[in-house]
Amino acid sequence: MISLYMAGNSWAHKLPARVKLIFLFVLSLLIIPFNTLWFSAALLVFVVALYATLGRQGLEKVKVVRPLLWMMGIIFLVHVFLGDIEQGIIAVLRLLAMVLLANFISITTHMEALMDAVEPLFRPLRVFGISPRRVSLAVALVIRFVPVLLAVYASLQEAYKARTAHANSWRLLAPFALHAIKMTDHVAEALTARGGADGFDRDKK
Amino acid sequence: MNDTSKTINFDHVSIERSGSTIIRDLSVALPDQRVGIIGRNGSGKSTLVRSLNGLLPVSAGSLLVHGVSAEEGAKKLARVTGFVFQNPDHQLIFPTALEELSFGLRQIGVGKADAKVQSLALLRDHGIEQLGERPVHELSEGQKQLICILAVLIMEPKLLVLDEPFSSLDLRTRVALRRKLEKLDQQILFVSHELDALSDYDKVLWIEDGKLKQFGVPADVLAAYQAHELSGVDLHFEGVARA
Ligand SMILES: Nc1ncnc2c1ncn2[C@@H]1O[C@H](COP(=O)(O)OP(=O)(O)OP(=O)(O)O)[C@@H](O)[C@H]1O
Ligand SMILES: [Mg+2]
Repeated sequence: MISLYMAGNSWAHKLPARVKLIFLFVLSLLIIPFNTLWFSAALLVFVVALYATLGRQGLEKVKVVRPLLWMMGIIFLVHVFLGDIEQGIIAVLRLLAMVLLANFISITTHMEALMDAVEPLFRPLRVFGISPRRVSLAVALVIRFVPVLLAVYASLQEAYKARTAHANSWRLLAPFALHAIKMTDHVAEALTARGGADGFDRDKK
Repeated sequence: MNDTSKTINFDHVSIERSGSTIIRDLSVALPDQRVGIIGRNGSGKSTLVRSLNGLLPVSAGSLLVHGVSAEEGAKKLARVTGFVFQNPDHQLIFPTALEELSFGLRQIGVGKADAKVQSLALLRDHGIEQLGERPVHELSEGQKQLICILAVLIMEPKLLVLDEPFSSLDLRTRVALRRKLEKLDQQILFVSHELDALSDYDKVLWIEDGKLKQFGVPADVLAAYQAHELSGVDLHFEGVARA
């Protein structure tokens, strides 16, 4: 399975996964009251600056949002129709900033570290007979596969463009969904082949 | 009788996929260390080997893998049978090789720190310590496939199943990986279209149309298969494209 981890030993790689997730959580709450153009723009600049600290190769990774740009365009246009250009710009800036921030965490964090970071949050679920490891694996998989899905979409766009000269079309949605479903099948099989989400009976070696 | 703890035993096994029976009433005992599986595209090789670690259930008959019966459930089978997929991209879940390896160990109950140490040690044994932290999507196909094999081996299965694992590798990498396989203690079941690769195996199993066509030493089975498949190939070309 392709996944877009970035090898390295930067400050961002060294920061504990839990700290990064808390940071993401706090920022995503902060943007609600700070509903201004300046705050949103500053946030985006800040997030892009985070990538820049990883060097040129890091800055390169900002391109991951390219396949989302047309969706951003639509969101912006909807706001324009509703007569609120400023809100449209804010919405787009925020979305870009948050996707980029989540992606930043994704490319600088080991998936295992992510799982270990979120697992304690789900311990209370044990009361209902739900395994916290299962849930943490699911959460880690979601975070992990965001950039992968974006890459899949980008490759579909490329294939489409090669034949039609247009980069985007609603026609890409169906194949994209199929790819995504196939991918989940493969991940599920790969997991099952090695004992499933819960692992093997832990007390029997 | 064979020692069942080291044998795969199919006893009147049938396997269904989406409602149609693909493997039909197949019986064979495989006590040999190295077994090759051959057959045309679509003959049911993958279907058969997928039952060995519980990826597909047996719909009739009984299956015994190194002392574990299929009735005991997919998980028990998965513990004794390691499965290497054809496409490494379908097997690798984690972003780095090191995590991929330690995941297997943690699955069997090894602690986090130990899992990391043991995974590094295995990579070092195979001279690829430097690949551990590299993102897997940046590795070559051969490197990825080696990681897949190691990720399965680290869990110490008793049986290693490989379903055409080398089909996208160059000659050199194939030979190198095959040499690594030769040295393993595990029983190996190898599905392959490269007949030459199976000539030093102990036994070869030929599947046709979901049934056992022939089972025996490679010299006999490979020759019979070749003769059978190449006779009248111009007249009966079925043009099955490889996926
Ligand atoms: N998911 C599925 N659902 C239904 N039928 C399937 C499925 N996968 C494979 N089959 C069918 O089962 C039969 C055997 O397929 P299988 O993949 O086991 O063949 P194979 O011997 O491994 O072929 P190849 O050499 O091409 O890998 C084929 O007729 C195929 O169409
Ligand atoms: Mg197959």
